Amino acid sequence: MLRTALPLLGLPLAETEAAGEPTKEPGAPGEPPPGLALFRWQWHEVEAPYLVALWILVASLAKIVFHLSRKVTSLVPESCLLILLGLVLGGIVLAVAKKAEYQLEPGTFFLFLLPPIVLDSGYFMPSRLFFDNLGAILTYAVVGTLWNAFTTGAALWGLQQVGLVAPRVQAGLLDFLLFGSLISAVDPVAVLAVFEEVHVNETLFIIVFGESLLNDAVTVVLYKVCNSFVEMGSANVQATDYLKGIASLFVVSLGGAAVGLVFAFLLALTTRFTKRVRIIEPLLVFLLAYAAYLTAEMASLSAIIAVTMCGLGCKKYVEANISHKSRTAVKYTMKTLASCAETVIFMLLGISAVDSSKWAWDSGLVLGTLIFILFFRALGVVLQTWVLNQFRLVPLDKIDQVVMSYGGLRGAVAFALVILLDRTKVPAKDYFVATTIVVVFFTVIIQGLTIKPLVKWLKVKRSEHHKPTLNQELHEHTFDHILAAVEDVVGHHGYHYWRDRWEQFDKKYLSQLLMRRSAYRIRDQIWDVYYRLNIRDAISFVDQGGHVLSSTGLTLPSMPSRNSVAETSVTNLLRESGSGACLDLQVIDTVRSGRDREDAVMHHLLCGGLYKPRRRYKASCSRHFISEDAQERQDKEVFQQNMKRRLESFKSTKHNICFTKNKPRLRKPGHKKKDGVANTETTNGKPPRDLGFQDTAAVIVTLESEEEEEESDSSETEKEDDEGIIFVARATSEVLQEGKVSGNLEVCPSPRVIPPSPTCAEKQLPWKSGQGDLAVYVSSETTKIVPVDMQTGWNQSISSLESLASPPCTQAPTMTHLPPRPLAAEEPQAPLALPSDPLLSFAFPPSLAKAGRSRSESSADIPQQQELQPLMGQKDHTHLSPRAANPRWCIQFNKGGQL
Amino acid sequence: MGNKQTVFTREQLEAYQDCTFFTRKEIMRLFYRYQDLAPQLVPLDYTSYPDVKVPYELIGSMPELKDNPFRQRIAQVFSEDGDGHMTLDNFLDMFSVMSEMAPRDLKAYYAFKIYDFNNDDSICAWDLEQTVTRLTRGELSAEEVSLVCEKVLDEADGDHDGRLSLEDFQNMILRAPDFLSTFHIRI
Repeated sequence: MLRTALPLLGLPLAETEAAGEPTKEPGAPGEPPPGLALFRWQWHEVEAPYLVALWILVASLAKIVFHLSRKVTSLVPESCLLILLGLVLGGIVLAVAKKAEYQLEPGTFFLFLLPPIVLDSGYFMPSRLFFDNLGAILTYAVVGTLWNAFTTGAALWGLQQVGLVAPRVQAGLLDFLLFGSLISAVDPVAVLAVFEEVHVNETLFIIVFGESLLNDAVTVVLYKVCNSFVEMGSANVQATDYLKGIASLFVVSLGGAAVGLVFAFLLALTTRFTKRVRIIEPLLVFLLAYAAYLTAEMASLSAIIAVTMCGLGCKKYVEANISHKSRTAVKYTMKTLASCAETVIFMLLGISAVDSSKWAWDSGLVLGTLIFILFFRALGVVLQTWVLNQFRLVPLDKIDQVVMSYGGLRGAVAFALVILLDRTKVPAKDYFVATTIVVVFFTVIIQGLTIKPLVKWLKVKRSEHHKPTLNQELHEHTFDHILAAVEDVVGHHGYHYWRDRWEQFDKKYLSQLLMRRSAYRIRDQIWDVYYRLNIRDAISFVDQGGHVLSSTGLTLPSMPSRNSVAETSVTNLLRESGSGACLDLQVIDTVRSGRDREDAVMHHLLCGGLYKPRRRYKASCSRHFISEDAQERQDKEVFQQNMKRRLESFKSTKHNICFTKNKPRLRKPGHKKKDGVANTETTNGKPPRDLGFQDTAAVIVTLESEEEEEESDSSETEKEDDEGIIFVARATSEVLQEGKVSGNLEVCPSPRVIPPSPTCAEKQLPWKSGQGDLAVYVSSETTKIVPVDMQTGWNQSISSLESLASPPCTQAPTMTHLPPRPLAAEEPQAPLALPSDPLLSFAFPPSLAKAGRSRSESSADIPQQQELQPLMGQKDHTHLSPRAANPRWCIQFNKGGQL
Repeated sequence: MGNKQTVFTREQLEAYQDCTFFTRKEIMRLFYRYQDLAPQLVPLDYTSYPDVKVPYELIGSMPELKDNPFRQRIAQVFSEDGDGHMTLDNFLDMFSVMSEMAPRDLKAYYAFKIYDFNNDDSICAWDLEQTVTRLTRGELSAEEVSLVCEKVLDEADGDHDGRLSLEDFQNMILRAPDFLSTFHIRI
C-alpha cells in the first residue's frame, strides 16, 4: 500500500512542479550556472516518459493490490476497479493541481493504447471459431451497429422533439445520429475485460467479441460520415454523399482487412529469414503489426480491422517460423502490453470523468440514451438472431440472446470519439460527453458487475476446458475432408468446400512461400498436436514432481530437426506412460502427498553428503539427451534441482507407472545395485537366495496391474529386498520363486527385451531386507507382455530412461544408445561386474539407512502406503549407494527412480 | 421441374421421404445432382427402378475431389457392396446422414465406418494408420505415424483392448462438443 501511495502522492507533486515550473525553471536555466553543478534537477527533459512510466507503474501496482484479495476480484471485474481508482486519482489530481490533468487523450488512445489490445486479441483469436461464426459476427457487427446507431439517434431526436431533452441541448437530427453512431458501437476493450472473467462458452464469446472488433469499421465510417455531414450542414448534403457513405463502409472495412493481410504476409515472409537473428523475431511481430495499424490509420481505413486481420493471418506462419523462445517472448510481451494498455485506459477513463469543465449534464438526454441503447441493443439482437437462426445449425437460444444484449458494453472508443468532436460544429458536445461518460460507466460498472451473476443465474453454458486430444484433432481433420468430399460430390459449394480449397491453396503455395523449409516439413498439424500433447504431459508430469524429466521434456519443443524424432519419441513414450497414469489415478495423488513429505524429510537427511557428485554427473548424463542449444537451460535446471525434488519425482513416476498402465513398465533394478544389495543383505542376514540371483543376473522388470492385487503378499517379502533395486511391480510369491530362475536366464541374455520383474520396490529397501527373504523376481510373463514389435520401442524407451534418470541396471538393454562409457558400466550382464562395485555402492551412512528404515516401518502400517513408502525409501538408498560407488551411476539411479 | 412426377412415382417419393431426412424438394434436387454426375448413365425416369450405378471412377475423378484423401473411402462406405459405385439410394443415404436432421448416433456410426478401413467393426491401429497417413499425405514417417496412432488409441480406448470399438468411438466423439456442428452439410 505504501508503495502505491507513493506514486499517487508523487504524481500530483510532480504535476504541480510541472505546472509551477514555468516560474521556477525558466529562471534556473537563465542564470549562468555557478560552476560545475554537482546536482541538477532536469525534470523537463524526462517529464513525458517519466509520467508515462509512472502511470503504468501506478496501474500495475493497483492491479497487484486488487488481486491481493481474491474475493474482490472474483466479484468485481478489474475494469470496474480501475475506473473507480481512476476516479479517485482524478479527484486527487484535481484537488492538488486545481485542474484536470492526465486525461484520456484520443490521440494517445488510438495511437498507443488501442493497438496492443487489438493485436493481442487478433493474434490469439481462435481463428477456426471465428471463421465458423463469421456470418453471425458480421451480421451483428454491421447490421447491428447500423441499427443501433440509427435507432438510438432517431429516438433521441424524437425525445428532443417531444421536449424531454432540455432545449439547451442544441442538436438536430444529424447531431443525434452522430452521437448515436459513436455511442452504439460495442467496445472491444470493455467486452474483453468483462467477458474474459465471465467464461461464457466460446461461441457466445466469439460472437460478442468478434462483433466488437469488426464493428469498428462501421463505427468509423458512420462517425466520419455523420461528422462530415454535420460539418457540411444538413442542407448541403446531397444524395451522392449518402451513396459515398455506403461505399466508404466497404472501402474502410475491406481496405483495412487488405492492409492487415498485406502486413501479415510481409511479417510471415520476414520471419522466414530470421534464422540467424532470432533475437529480433518478437520485435518484428510487433513492429509490422503496428505498422499495419498506422498504415490503416493513415489511409483512414479501419485500423482495428487491419490489426485484427494481421494478427489472425500471420499467426500460423509466424509461429512456425520463429523459435520457441521467441514465441514465448511474443506471447508474454503481447499479453503484457495489452494488459498495460487496458489498465491505463480504464484508469484514465476514470480520471477523465472527473473533469467537470468538459461536460454538461442533462438528465433527459442521459436517461434517454441509457434506456435507448439497452432497449435497441436487445431488440436488435433478438431480431437479428431470429434471422440468423434460420441459417444456423446450432441456433442461438434465448439465454444466449440475453447475454449478447446485456454484453453490449460501451467503452473507451466511444469516449475517445466523443472527445474528438468539434465543439464549434457540434454545439451539444458537452452534453454528449457527459452522456457518453455515464453510458460507459454504466455499462462497464453496472453491467460488468452484474453480468457474472446473471450468467450464473441463467445457467449460460460456460466454456468447458477439456484437454485437447489427439483424437479431436484427427477427427476434425477427417471430418473436414469428408464433408468437403461430400459437398464436392453433391456439387454444393458451401463452407466446407471453400475451406478445403483454402487449405489446399495454403498448403501448396502459401505455406511453402512463408514458412521455413524445416518448419514446413515438421509442421504437420497432427504431429504438431502430438508434440504439444507430449510436452503438456511432460509439464504436468513435472508439476507433479518429475523434475528430472522436466528438463528433457521442456527441451523437446526446441528441437526442430527431425533427427531428434527418435529420441523425442522415446521420451514421449516414457512420458506418455507416466503422465497417462497420473491422469487416471487421482487417488494416487492424495496418497502421494503424504509420502512426499516423508520423502522430503529423507531427502534432507541425505542431501548433505551426496549432493555434489550427483550434480556433476547429472549434467553430463543429460547432455546426451539434450540437444546442444538446450544445454544452458538444461544445465540450469539440472543444477537447480535438489535431491528432494528428485525423490519426489521418483515417487510420482513410480506411482504412475504402477497404477496406470496395464502395459508392463519396467523398472529394472540396476545390476550393480542388486549385487550391492545382495552383499548388504547377506550382511543383514539375507538368505543366500539373493546371492544366487545376483550372480545369474539381476534384471528386475516391474510389472504392474496384474500383480497389484498380490501386492500385499509381495510387499512383505519385498521389504526384505535390497535397497538399490527399484521394483515397480509387485510379484506374487509364487512368481518369485519360479520366475526367478527362468527370468534370469531369459532376461539376462536378451537385452532388447526388458524383462518385467514383479518385484516390489519395497523389497529393495535396504532396511527391509533384514526382515524376510528378498524377492527379486523376473517373470517370464512380463517379458511376454511386451509385444514383439514394441520391443524396439521398449529398448529405446529404456535407454532414454537410463540416460535420463533410470538406474543403470534397468537400462541395461538399451545400453547401445548410450555413449560407450556408460554402456559398459550399465550392461545388463553387469552382474558379473557387480561384485566389485557393490561394496562401494552400498556403503550407506548408517544413520541414514536407519532413519529410512524406521520411517518405512512406521509407515508400513497402512497397506497402501507400504508400497509407496518402500519405493521411496528405496530411492533414497539407491541414491546413496550408487553415488558412493560411481558418481555417474548415482545420477542415473536418481533418475531411474523418478521414472 | 414439370417432370417431377415423371421421375418418381408418388410412392417412390414417399418412400424416399420416409427413409431419409429430406423433403420432396430436396430429394428432387439431389436427384438432379446425381443425374448430373453421369447424365448419360442415369435416366430421367426412375419409376421403373432402373439398376443404375455411378461408377467410382466417375466420382473419384471429379476435379474438386482429386485432392481429397477420403474420397474413395466415402464412396466405399456408402455404396452397398463396398466397391464405391453408388446408386441413387446410396447417394441419398449419404446426404441423409450428413443432414442436420440425422441423429448424432447415426452420424457417429457412419463416421466410425469411414474410419474402419478393414471393415472389422473396430478401429485398430492399422485403420488409424491409414487415416493418419492420408491426413498427412505421407509427410510423416512410419515411426511417427505409429506413435501418433498409439497415442490416439491410448486416449480413446476405454476398455484397453488395443482397438476402438463403436462404443469407444461414440464415447469419444460425442464428448467433443462440436461434433454435431461439424459433421453436417446443408444441402
